[in-house]
Amino acid sequence: MRQMAYRPQFFMMIVGKIVRIGLLFFFFQAVFLKVDRIGHWTYYEVLLLFATFHIVDYLMSVTFHRNLAFHLPQLIQTGELDTRMIMPLNLLFLLSFEMIDFIDLLSFLPSLGFLAYVLCRLQFAFSWIHALAYVLLLVNALLFLFGIVLIIATISFWTTQSFGLARIFDNLLKIGRYPLDIFEGVLRTVFVYFLPLVLIAQIPSQVLLATLSLKSMLYAFSITGVFLFVAISFWKMGLKNYLSAST
Amino acid sequence: MNAILTTDLFKTYWFYEKEAGLSGSLKALFRGKKVFVEAIRGISLDIEVGEVVGFIGPNGAGKTTTLKILSGILYPTRGHVEVLGFSPFKRDKAFLKNITFLTGQRNRLFWDLPAEEYFEFCRVVYEIPKDVYQKNLMDLVELAAIGDILKVPQRKLSFGQRKRCELVAALLHDPKIIFLDEPTNAMDLVNARKLRGFIKEQGRGGKRTIILTSHNMSDIEDVCERIVIINRGKIVFDGGVDALHRIAGFWKRIRVAFDGPWNIDDVQKLGRIKEMNDQQLILEVEPDKTASVASHLFDAFPVKDISITGPGLEKIIESIYLQDSD
Repeated sequence: MRQMAYRPQFFMMIVGKIVRIGLLFFFFQAVFLKVDRIGHWTYYEVLLLFATFHIVDYLMSVTFHRNLAFHLPQLIQTGELDTRMIMPLNLLFLLSFEMIDFIDLLSFLPSLGFLAYVLCRLQFAFSWIHALAYVLLLVNALLFLFGIVLIIATISFWTTQSFGLARIFDNLLKIGRYPLDIFEGVLRTVFVYFLPLVLIAQIPSQVLLATLSLKSMLYAFSITGVFLFVAISFWKMGLKNYLSAST
Repeated sequence: MNAILTTDLFKTYWFYEKEAGLSGSLKALFRGKKVFVEAIRGISLDIEVGEVVGFIGPNGAGKTTTLKILSGILYPTRGHVEVLGFSPFKRDKAFLKNITFLTGQRNRLFWDLPAEEYFEFCRVVYEIPKDVYQKNLMDLVELAAIGDILKVPQRKLSFGQRKRCELVAALLHDPKIIFLDEPTNAMDLVNARKLRGFIKEQGRGGKRTIILTSHNMSDIEDVCERIVIINRGKIVFDGGVDALHRIAGFWKRIRVAFDGPWNIDDVQKLGRIKEMNDQQLILEVEPDKTASVASHLFDAFPVKDISITGPGLEKIIESIYLQDSD
């Protein structure tokens, strides 16, 4: 409840969120005054992708992202990780969700409102199966991002700091809010296979629009499984290399 | 029964060496020299359930590193380690619920909240049954004398008060092994004595195994039955306080005050005379002969008062550090 204790800060945060969504909304409006589609995506489909990205990004940033990408390196640097390591709790779970401010959930409302607006304006055949798949793919996107953030955070066991890498990742991640059809050649291959940002918003949006094949959906789950496996193995290796800090 | 068993334990650290200044920083950025340091080198320990062991050594000797390996914080580079039958680095829940690690230099409490809130957090984390929790809390709060500060935010407490709160938090789950890393560090005399009394009380009954590191010899003398001295990553002494006095081989000092005439030739045969005047004499004697010399002095001389002093634990340990550094 830390943020609620500072009311001006809390309200400014919500206003900031609305302004951010609003600005990108106007940006897309401006783009679509000139073109009918981006790749295969219509105006409202792009907005759906954008709203989906915001939901995933928001859920990540208020849960594990701030904890792993920024708090964990500090704990490693100061040796404060010691106090967490002796607790009979799942260490990774504790470190991923140690700082959660439930008041953040209120600032989730603008993102949800935006999604509701887009869904109302979109002309598509709603189906419960597609809605369920959409939710599952959102969870899948979060698990995929968890894997990446964990890999970046784990690097701190060797480098003590990984802020730079976390910042690079944050900037790369923003690409996921655009239809990745805009990329071609090597970049497209990278964002589909090597750093599959398509998993974050594009694939969940496509399933809701009923334009995603079952094969692509299975691919999404499999690639997340691979990323998670690599991330957790790397995390275990990192723990073995933890050197603590002198007292 | 073994509480702790280690065989030939090693831990090697590494870091990048950096020279001072901007040029040093730039050099380290591209051509940093990786330096390896063996923090502990072949530590073998066998500690029984219920023992209270003082783990001492100069700065950088490897005490805290050993404790961190024993508590599962650090992974040993090589060697065997077993605590309560567990491999600590696997960090099994059952293992972690049976140990506690308290350091005098790190704060584990919630800074803005009262200790009471942290104790409740411990109850949940350690899954302590409510009735057991209430009883342990009452006993420990009384023993640590923190009943009047339970509702005060931690940031408002003195250092000594905070440390006593931390000790209560560390013991609420009734751990079988207690690791204490310089618990009285930076504490004033009164608080340090209170904390020692508290630790001593925990060690009674032979149920808990306590490993304590400290630079404060009063902590060791008051609390520990066994002393392990570590220097440059190796154990250089392991035994009781008496054994330490014996192996150090320091001569005892006998100070004698006379109330009548005495003959120097008769005294010289008993030991080394350090100081003397008409009324008193300071004589150094071998530790084994102290009692017989004192008895002889009483029988054969007009003794008014007599006192015997040893070199003190601090001096003995200092001499061991120095011998080992040669």
